[in-house]
Amino acid sequence: MLRRFFPILHVQGMIILVFGLSMCVPLLLAELTRDGAQHAYDVAAMITVGSGMLLWLVGRHWRRELKTRDGILLVVSTWTLLPGFAALPLIIYMPELSLADAYFEAMSGLTATGATVLSGLDDLPNSINLWRAQLHWLGGLGVIVLVTAVLPLLGVGGRQMYKAEIPTPMKDQKLTPRMAETAKGLWVVYIILTTLCIGVLWALGMSFFDAVVHGFSVMSLGGFSSHDASLGYFNSLQLEIAVAVFALIAGVNFATHFAFLRGRRLSYYFKDPELRWFLGLVLTSGVVLALLLWQRDVFLDFPSALRYAMFNTISIATTLGFATTDYGHWPFFAGLWLLFLCSFSTGAGSTGGGIKMMRAILLYKQVYRELKKLIHPNAQIPLRLGNDIVPNKVVYAVLAFLFIYVASIVSLSFVLSFTGLDVLTSFSAIVACINNTGPGLGQVGPATTYAVLSDFQVSVCTFAMLLGRLELFTLLVVLTPAFWRR
Amino acid sequence: MPLRQRVFHNLLPMLHVLGMIIGVFGLSMLFPLLISELTGDGASHAFEEATLITLGTGALLWLIGHHWKRELKVRDGILLVVLTWLLTPLFAALPLLDYLQGMSFTDAYFESMSGLTTTGATVLSGLDNLPPTINLWRTQLHWLGGMGVIVLVVAVLPLLGIGGRQMFKSETPGPMKDDKLTPRMAETAKGLWVVYLLLTLALIAIYAFLGMSLMDALIHSFSVMGLGGFSSYDASFGHFDSVPLEIATVVFAMLAGINFAMHFLAWRGRSLKPYLLDPELRWFFGIVLASCLVLALMLWQSNFYLDFPTALRYATFNVISIATTLGLANTDFGQWPLFTGLWMLFLCSFTTSAGSTGGGIKMMRAVLLYKQIHRELNLLIHPRARIPIRLGTQWVPDKILYAVLAYFFMYVSSIVLLSFILSFSGLDVLTAFSAIVACINNTGPGLGQVGPSTTYAVLTDLQTWICTFAMLLGRLELFTLLVVLTPAFWRK
Repeated sequence: MLRRFFPILHVQGMIILVFGLSMCVPLLLAELTRDGAQHAYDVAAMITVGSGMLLWLVGRHWRRELKTRDGILLVVSTWTLLPGFAALPLIIYMPELSLADAYFEAMSGLTATGATVLSGLDDLPNSINLWRAQLHWLGGLGVIVLVTAVLPLLGVGGRQMYKAEIPTPMKDQKLTPRMAETAKGLWVVYIILTTLCIGVLWALGMSFFDAVVHGFSVMSLGGFSSHDASLGYFNSLQLEIAVAVFALIAGVNFATHFAFLRGRRLSYYFKDPELRWFLGLVLTSGVVLALLLWQRDVFLDFPSALRYAMFNTISIATTLGFATTDYGHWPFFAGLWLLFLCSFSTGAGSTGGGIKMMRAILLYKQVYRELKKLIHPNAQIPLRLGNDIVPNKVVYAVLAFLFIYVASIVSLSFVLSFTGLDVLTSFSAIVACINNTGPGLGQVGPATTYAVLSDFQVSVCTFAMLLGRLELFTLLVVLTPAFWRR
Repeated sequence: MPLRQRVFHNLLPMLHVLGMIIGVFGLSMLFPLLISELTGDGASHAFEEATLITLGTGALLWLIGHHWKRELKVRDGILLVVLTWLLTPLFAALPLLDYLQGMSFTDAYFESMSGLTTTGATVLSGLDNLPPTINLWRTQLHWLGGMGVIVLVVAVLPLLGIGGRQMFKSETPGPMKDDKLTPRMAETAKGLWVVYLLLTLALIAIYAFLGMSLMDALIHSFSVMGLGGFSSYDASFGHFDSVPLEIATVVFAMLAGINFAMHFLAWRGRSLKPYLLDPELRWFFGIVLASCLVLALMLWQSNFYLDFPTALRYATFNVISIATTLGLANTDFGQWPLFTGLWMLFLCSFTTSAGSTGGGIKMMRAVLLYKQIHRELNLLIHPRARIPIRLGTQWVPDKILYAVLAYFFMYVSSIVLLSFILSFSGLDVLTAFSAIVACINNTGPGLGQVGPSTTYAVLTDLQTWICTFAMLLGRLELFTLLVVLTPAFWRK
């Protein structure tokens, strides 16, 4: 079993090393501003860089070209080890934080979930808040590689579908060259958009530090903020509009952005089969919820109903997770609908969570096809997406994905409910975590944190976040005995 | 052709059969009518009028439809099933509307749909004071609905190939070459109905032997064998407060939750072997009995019941009753820790077998889903491997697996969508969700406001209709009903 790890040690060491180097950013900030968290980063950076070097050196002996199975293992071990290192500065600075909570917070950062166990954020050192948001941003980088380069090669849950969209040759079966090439292009887009977002937020009145923290959070669709009141702290319409727009941009497939930047033609956006559904669904929901809230007298005038409904709908549906008001107090239907949206609205190559719009469309079309087949049992009905005909293999993988997704939500909710949480809290916490959204309803609603959960419950939520981020199968396959057999 | 004409054109060939079905259904009303006349319980005029209307309509349809009589095709079969399940509740509601003057049409239709789909959700209270024949009629609907379901799931749906139902073709006795619906239906149905009838008679005898009045024995046997859930008492089975009666109920509920083809094979071959070979049975028994034990321990440990035997008694009865989608209760399990209620609702959505009178997605589909996931995971490790899926001794073709996966997706979407509608109309989450789950699985009692100690009478008219729709959707295995709602169905 241990043998399986040898070939990936080398790469794993490199990833941890780079991750350790990224700690220099908050370290530098802490040193410059003397905010009291310097020693936390000193120690954490040393441990991380040291472990990375060690693994790299040890792993050099077994270095070889990575195969599919190595790729799966590398993804899983990266996403379980990095949160451990990422939690170091938090634990060192806040020794009262339990191990489960610190790991949860770091996992929530790296999976771009945004669920937090911390309160009193406004009083934390700036460098700690920066580190949390930076985790989101780095996680977003990781996700982009994951969903556009690694998972399609592994064929997880119908991911083969998105191969065609990425502008690189596909002959090569080896993981590394392809990963590097695809990732490079998309990272450039991601960096450009982040810079733009930070600039806009800064120009609209945020302090530079807040602009960086929230820019990181928005582009990765994470949800950590440097204020307990989240974006409600600023109470500024322009900022809300800017954040909503950038959240929608981050919810679109980055390959489409890449194609647009390279070709400078808007037609790429029109051709994206997910985009129209994503925008249509999210914006319609925003308007309908605004009408509902206005009509039920939650807000007395329509403009403010529209403002709050639109922002929170976009924020939750894109799995960002900022809140400008406590929508836990809205009529129940509204909160459930938001959770429903976040489970499928974002695009397949975006930094968002959930099952992705691509899969939702395929599921819808497949059901329509099944109904047609009942009427014409012998007909061959192809399933089309945009201009492509979708192979049956992909459709079935998507159906299986949905089953595992539902089964995971049901069984993890049962586990939480068994430990004594009420239905609403346990169900919404799992949905919010598996979709990498952040705030749920009930005791984990937008006005509260996950700190009320016991260590065990927090660990279940941590697992849910990781499961959702790694598109279920990647993590589950590592847990099967067959994976470890020769 | 314009749509209206096309619809009309599609309906004509089945009027004949539909008339016959309604006619026979009308004849079945003679049973409560006769008892009502004999006992003079005051409901006889209601049954007289209802019988006349039903028989008359049936005869009329039969006569008119005679002109267009022809061999039925697959599409006619789908439409016939849907129409039968839409129209018979209408006639079944007549005695209720006639006798209970204050009852709204919505409620009466809900009640009779709940009867015929063997759901057992009721809007009536004060059952103890109703004439016995009204209660008999309600559970007779369960029993007749159970008969209908047996034909539906073992003979009609496999031919239509709904949601992987083809799988069950081979298990039913009878030649399969014929593509015409009627001869095969008749043959398969006959054998299974005999089993159904024998089991019902046995249960009536056992109930009577254990001290129930004959009327109660009749009513509750109908309810149990159809896995319905209507009772003649507001306290449901708690009224009797008798352990032997509860044991008899639990045993027969489990029997009714098994594929009737297995009973038929066992009875014909006089051996228990078919049961041992049934791939669903071991899972069904294993999951349900383990749940009984675990929930009993939980209830005991959380001091809900002070001694273990009592905890075991109540846990066993209610878990088996809900998991088999029967829905009788002998205590208000809505008061138990919430986890137990949710777990029971979870069980009822998949534990019963594919040829039984129970609801939900059926154990067969659950087993296939589980195996399919296992295969998907293996395919990730060995992308080019061909991994066949086996069920019992058979290979399962891919086509069936995909139909089952699509079925599961439809099932989940229906629950989510209908729960949203109920929640939008103002119900709390627990009530909205549990009502839909309890209705789509044809179980009966949910949690919250529609829990075992209350009725569905609290719902508004719109909410009641949604639940009625959910019951029908679940009973017709989703696709049968949904396909009729697509435009493509009505095209030539």
